[in-house]
Amino acid sequence: MLSYAEKIREIAGRLLSSGAVDMVIGFRQGTVPMMNEPHFAKTPAEVGKLVWDSHCGINLANYLTDRKEKIGIVAKGCDSRNIVTHVIENKIKREQLVVIGVPCKGMADKRRIAMKCPGEITEVIETETAITAAGNGFSQTFDKRDVLQHNCSLCIHRNPAIHDELVAELVEEQQGVDRYADVRSLEAMTPEQRWKYFEDLLAPCVRCYACRNACPLCYCPTCFVDESRPQWVGKGQDPSDVRTFHFLRAYHCAGRCTDCGACERSCPVGINMRVFTKKLEKDCLDLFGWEAGLSLDVRPPLDVYRPNDPNDFIK
Amino acid sequence: MKIIQIDKGQWVSGLNQAAAAYRLFGPVKEKEFHSFKPLTNGLQPDLSCLNTRLSPKSIIYPQSEVMFDYSLDERREDHHQLMEIAKDYSPKAVVGIRPCDAKAFVMVRLNFDTPDYQDPYWLRAYESTTFIGLGCEAPCSACFCTSAGCGPYHEEGLDVLLADAGDRYLAKVMTEKGAAFMAAAGWKTAADGQADATLAGMRQAAEAKITSFVPTDNLRSLPNNDLYNATFWEDVSFACINCGACTYSCPTCWCFDIQDETRGTSGVRLKNWDSCMYPLFTLHGTGHNPRGTKLHRVRQRFMHKLKYFVDKYDRGIQCVGCGRCVRLCPVNIDIRRVALMMNGFAASGEACAIES
Amino acid sequence: MEHMGIEPGRLQFSWISSAESTKFVEVVTQVTNAIKALGPNSDFTKKLAEVA
Repeated sequence: MLSYAEKIREIAGRLLSSGAVDMVIGFRQGTVPMMNEPHFAKTPAEVGKLVWDSHCGINLANYLTDRKEKIGIVAKGCDSRNIVTHVIENKIKREQLVVIGVPCKGMADKRRIAMKCPGEITEVIETETAITAAGNGFSQTFDKRDVLQHNCSLCIHRNPAIHDELVAELVEEQQGVDRYADVRSLEAMTPEQRWKYFEDLLAPCVRCYACRNACPLCYCPTCFVDESRPQWVGKGQDPSDVRTFHFLRAYHCAGRCTDCGACERSCPVGINMRVFTKKLEKDCLDLFGWEAGLSLDVRPPLDVYRPNDPNDFIK
Repeated sequence: MKIIQIDKGQWVSGLNQAAAAYRLFGPVKEKEFHSFKPLTNGLQPDLSCLNTRLSPKSIIYPQSEVMFDYSLDERREDHHQLMEIAKDYSPKAVVGIRPCDAKAFVMVRLNFDTPDYQDPYWLRAYESTTFIGLGCEAPCSACFCTSAGCGPYHEEGLDVLLADAGDRYLAKVMTEKGAAFMAAAGWKTAADGQADATLAGMRQAAEAKITSFVPTDNLRSLPNNDLYNATFWEDVSFACINCGACTYSCPTCWCFDIQDETRGTSGVRLKNWDSCMYPLFTLHGTGHNPRGTKLHRVRQRFMHKLKYFVDKYDRGIQCVGCGRCVRLCPVNIDIRRVALMMNGFAASGEACAIES
Repeated sequence: MEHMGIEPGRLQFSWISSAESTKFVEVVTQVTNAIKALGPNSDFTKKLAEVA
């Protein structure tokens, strides 16, 4: 994976020189450990700054919405599925894009790594299989598979669903993955236990909307929480309002979410809000056999009415 | 200004004694990180905390606050009147606040306490609070307080500055409020004659550990419009997702939104934190939005922090170098990098080709 | 909704045509009784903002 950066730069340089694209969107090196910054290159001279490592978890499809240029976009498996969804939802045209596909074995979870270290991490070094985090008086090495982002550990679409270029050979998809263990453990609880679970989960939320804004699906010009005439949800910290924001946003992502994990990654207070979207993802799979963003040619089930849609909940 | 010595063996009992006269707040760890919480039921502040994830500004300035309420129910005596909500302004003490966060309150006061307008909610909360600060022995790698007119043992905004000297704390008492707190806690042993020198040594040692520096010397003299029209803003703002992580975690950010919420014939007026990063922050009643693009908003944030505030108040940048925005930004937009670009900007209109 | 901890039975769906007035009355009566039997929902309500 460490050679991906070279290949990304080579492809980007080639696309920009030939005029196939006006800009390439990727990542440049971050200024703090375990972070990278989404970045665009507009000339071949600028591609040298593009990097790739295990800290490229932010979903770059988020930066495509309503753009008019021809864009080369670096996309992991999950990102590419969001690109498919974007095209299906008319937020970008397929012809505008050159998808630089990245077969991905998972991104590192910086919170997990930080929790395992005794102090502030000042330096992180990566090899093909391991990550070493060092700080004042300590250095710890982790197998990458032990410190993956939660969604990456459950990923069954590591290879890009669409691509025009590929940065490396396709990787093996994980087999026998139980994607919904956490959903089922919630389903096994009583309503009171579940209520309390979500109350604790959302207690630190400060309505910064990092989760919403990092999500490629959330592109409404005015989000329902920002609307005030009429006002659907309070804008303050009343717990019912905080909860409404999260669960209603999850509903708006139903059938579209690819579980890219950008929401959890962005949250400044470490909330695992994917427990909302995972349930809806499971329901879409159970009720419609649907997984988001795998094909440009099929309309999502929540977009289309079919006579045999499940409706036994309607009496 | 005297320096009092607090034996660590007397720390807990002193705090418990002070709790009789003050509502105490301090850093407490929950799950992965620390937050300032009320120290009720003998809860102790965790002074090993480097700094809290979000700033302590919410102690003085809650994220959502009811300003007043009203009822249209004519059976009530106070019907059709805006009634002030009873709030608790009894003495509070924040124990273990870092010098950067304490200085931030002094800066924010410039906004809430002006000759023409005073914000009674913020001021009453601030003036009834005593700040017992803790000097930073081991500043974080993203801290750049010494570049922001502050430092790990800076005293501005603090009533007492504590320094951890191993088996004891040296407490420099700087104000009457600080002295009152020390008396309430029963800490009165004067430190020996060496204390001043010890404290000075600790300050120097801590300042020497700062590894992040940001030049700000040119900001005052750079022409406003040239900086505004610089070509680097597209590059700076591209990654931004316009969330509120930076503004909400920043101790020097102060913007809010006022809104009424009603239910039937009663209602409240709420004051909620707002963020200049949000698209609707500058939406006018006419529908026009002067900062309708991401570039406008990101530029505005950095210009405000590093230029407009500098020009208006002539007391340095609107930043204390706490590093929270740097660590919490989901896409790693770094104010230090932007400050470098702005400070190094050549007024001829050519952006300085500085990269971190 | 149930996943989040709201008791089952508070949210109900029914197909009723504008021509099925009898069914409408029956369903409304039945759902009203079912909800009353569950009692007031005290968790997911908001009177006036519960904030500082």
